[in-house]
Amino acid sequence: MSGRSVGNAFVGILRQERAHPALQDQVAKLFEESRQDVYRYLLTLGLPPPRAQETVQEVFMRLYSALKSGESIENPRGWVFRVAHNHGLQVRARYASEEPFDPGLETRLMAAGHDPEQSLLERERLKRFHHAIEGLSEQQKRCVFLRLDGLRYPEIGSTLGISASAVGEFLRRAVSHLRKAGHE
Amino acid sequence: MSKYETGHPGEGCLLQYNDGEIASGEARRVERHLEACWQCRAELDELRKTVADCVRYRQAVLDRYLPPPPRPWADLYEEFARIDATEAPAGWPKRLARAFAGPAPWRWAAATLAAAAVLCAAFLQLRKAPSVHAAELLGKAVAIADSQPKAVRHIRIRTRTRQIARLIDGVGVESARAPRDADTPAIRALFAAAHYDWDDPLSARSFQAWRDSVPRKRDEVTTVADPERPSESCYQIQTAAESGELASASLTLRATDLHPVESRLEFRDREWVELTEIPEPSMSGTSFNEHLEVPWRPAEPSLPAAPTPREPASISDELQVMNALHQIGADLGDPVDVTRSGDRVLVSGVGIPPRRQKQIHDLLASMPRVDVQFSEPGAVAAAVAPDTGVRVAPPASPPAAGSVQARLERQVGGRAEMERIGAQILDWNESAMARAYALRSLAERFPASAQASLKPGGRNTLDEMAREHAAAMLRHVEAIDGAMTPLLTALGGSASPARAGTPDTWQASAENAFQAARRVEVLLSIVWGATPGDGANSDLPSALLTALQQLKTELEDCQRLLSRDAGG
Repeated sequence: MSGRSVGNAFVGILRQERAHPALQDQVAKLFEESRQDVYRYLLTLGLPPPRAQETVQEVFMRLYSALKSGESIENPRGWVFRVAHNHGLQVRARYASEEPFDPGLETRLMAAGHDPEQSLLERERLKRFHHAIEGLSEQQKRCVFLRLDGLRYPEIGSTLGISASAVGEFLRRAVSHLRKAGHE
Repeated sequence: MSKYETGHPGEGCLLQYNDGEIASGEARRVERHLEACWQCRAELDELRKTVADCVRYRQAVLDRYLPPPPRPWADLYEEFARIDATEAPAGWPKRLARAFAGPAPWRWAAATLAAAAVLCAAFLQLRKAPSVHAAELLGKAVAIADSQPKAVRHIRIRTRTRQIARLIDGVGVESARAPRDADTPAIRALFAAAHYDWDDPLSARSFQAWRDSVPRKRDEVTTVADPERPSESCYQIQTAAESGELASASLTLRATDLHPVESRLEFRDREWVELTEIPEPSMSGTSFNEHLEVPWRPAEPSLPAAPTPREPASISDELQVMNALHQIGADLGDPVDVTRSGDRVLVSGVGIPPRRQKQIHDLLASMPRVDVQFSEPGAVAAAVAPDTGVRVAPPASPPAAGSVQARLERQVGGRAEMERIGAQILDWNESAMARAYALRSLAERFPASAQASLKPGGRNTLDEMAREHAAAMLRHVEAIDGAMTPLLTALGGSASPARAGTPDTWQASAENAFQAARRVEVLLSIVWGATPGDGANSDLPSALLTALQQLKTELEDCQRLLSRDAGG
């Protein structure tokens, strides 16, 4: 066995061993903080709730494996959204024969007619805004939802596989469209 | 007149400023402008209100009404343990012992000697594994590129302030259709300062050469979706440099063949350049030049056989320009005019926003014999602005009892709903009218006799553009029809049979469709109260149903004639 190959074996072992507590805590903390956001994003992508939940867990497992194998990830939250987006699309395609998930937000909004926490005016406004959101293109919607999740333009671009300047343009169009709804 | 035309930052710029996405220098300029400009401050406030609406929507709708996860979240630590067990079946002392195990008695001495090498290798491996991966990937990409024949590539180059298209030939040299020199010195200077190859900017070799020249760097290799085919994946190499003009660069390689498709260069002064390969061949991309042919002309003995620079601009040149403008939607309502003058095609416009002007300039820069001239809007701006349709203007007072509007209001369930549906329908109508104007403009510019003088490629291009407008227009009209027919029928309306008689050419049919669309527009605006009219007219529902039917028939005729041309 050469010195170099022994070294490589040793490094691999060290890398695995040193990963354990700190890395696990790091990924678990991010999971705690971000899982709801990623889950919600996957629902808006059209994944049914059980698939969305499985996908979220799978993504964080991949993050752990990637970090453990030494991959350098500067922005783990951005990485999680990017992988969730790509993996989510694959899952959606794999289960294309299933009924596409429709959260039925409008019905739920209507059914909330007696919710004392929302005034009638507020509900009407939310309904209008919901219609405006529904009127956005898929890419515009994704950009808006990812921006709401705190991703910067380059991170959104990386998630969706488009340039940061294209993200800016999608967001501009989306905001312009939504402004009209706000003025109605 | 938009604010941007008068030197105000545009909506996109304000949004990026609000999001902290513009360079500090530009942000300071925007701040200074905002201090002085009430109008832009109000605009920014409006943007922030919309952003606040989005946040409120997330809290009040998405967070509240999206279904919660069906099961409790898994205990990640158990999953971690499972992964660890799968990937590392033995503990490190055992594995280390196994690594050093051997029958020879001198193994401890060997192990001692190996220790130094182990520590060095450990250090190098821990620090440089992604770099090795990036270098390997680049090496393979260069080898693959070298093993393949060189091909002409179209590349779109974007910077913060401009966008150009370049044609790079097989050995990395710009073709004759490259952008004019005046367009590129600033970008060239950026590349030169960064020691990045301008002649072949989107290639693994250029990236590799730059990366190799950087003494201290950090690499990241990730997998991303293919920008062109999101279902497929790409490798993205991101290299951050600790010194040099270029702070970081990324190169996206298609996973299947390691072909570079995208790159982004970030400079220390926060300038950036994005390079994207334009797919080829495609009529929908910027590569339109490839698909248009030199027009067929009768032979004229007095002229030399080969085209000369003084040859008058042809209908084919004009078609090239129209097709280019069509690719970016500049034929849908932008006040852009295209005329032939001597040996040039002149593209002019008044009141075009600067960003759009630049987009058009960049688009046409590589086309020979094309001049672009824009002017600022003056007193006549209002007069030249196109009539792009009717906007919803809800009546200030309630509609008179018994009028079509009042009955429609009852029918849809109230004023608010009527305004919502009306706005949607008038939006569809606006889109349909934009297509109607574009289709008619094509028909007028390229009558049947002119189309016949084009070569097959040109004829196909023209047909394709017209087909696209007719199909899009029909989609909008069908949407209007789908929404209006139940309402109008409930008000007692019924459609009369559509007019019989079919024109011989798609151009004539396009004119008929345009006239029918104008009639629908007028009737719609009366029905929804956007313009004054005889709202009490009981025939209004039937008139609108009939007009819609007629318009659909005209568009179907137009499409049929276009298909016949394509088939013939």
